[in-house]
Amino acid sequence: MTETITASSPSGATSPRSARRARSEPKPARQRRSGTRLTIGVRLAQVALLLVLLGAWQLVASQGWIEPVLAKTPGEAWAYFTAAVQSGEISSNLRATMTAVVIAWILASAVGVAVGLSLGLLPTLERIMSPFLDAANAMPRLALAPLLIVIFGITMTAKVALAFTLVFFIVCSSARAGVKSVDDEWLRLSTVLNASKTQVFWHILLPVATPGIFAGLRLGLIYSLLGVVGSELISSRDGLGQLVSIYSAQFRMEAVYAILILLAIVAVVLNQVMNFAERYLLRWQPPARR
Amino acid sequence: MDTNVITPAVQLDGLTISFPSPDGSAKTVVDNLDLTIPRGQFVSLVGRSGCGKTTLLNALAGLVDATECKTEVLGTTPFDARSRMGFMMARDALFPWRTARKNVEYGLELRGVPKAERRTQAARWLAAVQMSEASQLWTWQLSQGMRQRVALARTWALDPDILLMDEPFAALDAQTRVEVQREFLELWQSQVGRTVIFVTHDLGEAICLSDRVLLLGAGRVIDDVSIDIERPRELETLTAEPRYIEIFNRLRGQLDH
Repeated sequence: MTETITASSPSGATSPRSARRARSEPKPARQRRSGTRLTIGVRLAQVALLLVLLGAWQLVASQGWIEPVLAKTPGEAWAYFTAAVQSGEISSNLRATMTAVVIAWILASAVGVAVGLSLGLLPTLERIMSPFLDAANAMPRLALAPLLIVIFGITMTAKVALAFTLVFFIVCSSARAGVKSVDDEWLRLSTVLNASKTQVFWHILLPVATPGIFAGLRLGLIYSLLGVVGSELISSRDGLGQLVSIYSAQFRMEAVYAILILLAIVAVVLNQVMNFAERYLLRWQPPARR
Repeated sequence: MDTNVITPAVQLDGLTISFPSPDGSAKTVVDNLDLTIPRGQFVSLVGRSGCGKTTLLNALAGLVDATECKTEVLGTTPFDARSRMGFMMARDALFPWRTARKNVEYGLELRGVPKAERRTQAARWLAAVQMSEASQLWTWQLSQGMRQRVALARTWALDPDILLMDEPFAALDAQTRVEVQREFLELWQSQVGRTVIFVTHDLGEAICLSDRVLLLGAGRVIDDVSIDIERPRELETLTAEPRYIEIFNRLRGQLDH
């Protein structure tokens, strides 16, 4: 039992002020500079990799190493792209796709966060619902597309519905996991401070779940794009997925390549937007965890 | 006559707390405890792990229900006394999504104190624990000692009549601990009439800080020692004083027994 019984220690040399200074001081300039240099290095490497990929594409296409129908060069894809931008084909279809993506993402996120938090906070409800949710989530969602098209017709609603089924489960499970990471000490403290349930929710449970929810929202945005484009590929009046479908059938591979690259760029941009939002909203986290 | 003066800070008559054991029987953690703590007293609860000191503290905070007994805190039930209670734990329990200042404001926010008043109070108490410069920092930017100071400021900002503290300085290194203890004592002495119930593993800490040390064992009070060492106390030199050593050995002897 002796290990738990210790006498008070004599005073030491470090003052709280010096400790405070050491902690609150900004990073040394050298460290900051090396950080910037590293970022520039990473960017240069990324540009180099992009050029290598484009070069390889050009090489493969121009040397006739693959089927002639597939062998379209970056230049040909670019030519299609500029023409399609001028004719308005890209903008109208991009708008159709992105409208569905954003609507599906917002709806699924709102419902997913609400359901996820409820499941995380109500263990009995979670036990009842878990097998059903797991089963629904395991279903191959693209297989639902024909069904949804029958239900909603060839409309934007069908696209939104398919994307919703993908995004909902991602956001729901991340919100559920997030809210469960609450520290008991916070709840103990809040109980003694007579916090109401509503106060505990807004002041503790929601902020606790925020990093998890954000991870889900970020992934959900990309999955929303996948869901909408998937639905458009199968049947749709407009959208980038529909363009891919049409041009594939016509063997116009330069157009298919251009649209696929455009979709990839859209995904990168969406991811970056989420990065910025996350960095602002989660600025309270230590940099390594952001 | 003001009832506050006559009702003690804590009044327990035969407090008994049992928890169900895994084998189905009831394990008695606090056993028929009678205790009166007058207002303004600094009382430490010491004892081995599992002696019931934290459970007793939780009962005073209304966090566990007594199996049998009348528990009175500030002349009322623990639940009703919460608005006049401060509570502090070994882990600082600061919210990482709030700055130091916003953490201090937390309890005031729950009570609906207007923003301007919250800010004033937070600034005042952060200054009292020498943390003014850190008010805009996030918790990950604070050292353990700084975090515990912010937690102290949060506790004091509520202007509590009774402070329930569960090993609040246990996580601090030896040097920081003495500094924070000193600051805490200064704050306590500057405001007459506040009762402190202080749970600690550390006999020395208990003797240095308190007016009275209760040694608990198996849910009962084994010894109740009045610490008749004059205040203000010099925490660094106190441990060499004969009276300190005498009390320390007396309590230590019973703990090892």
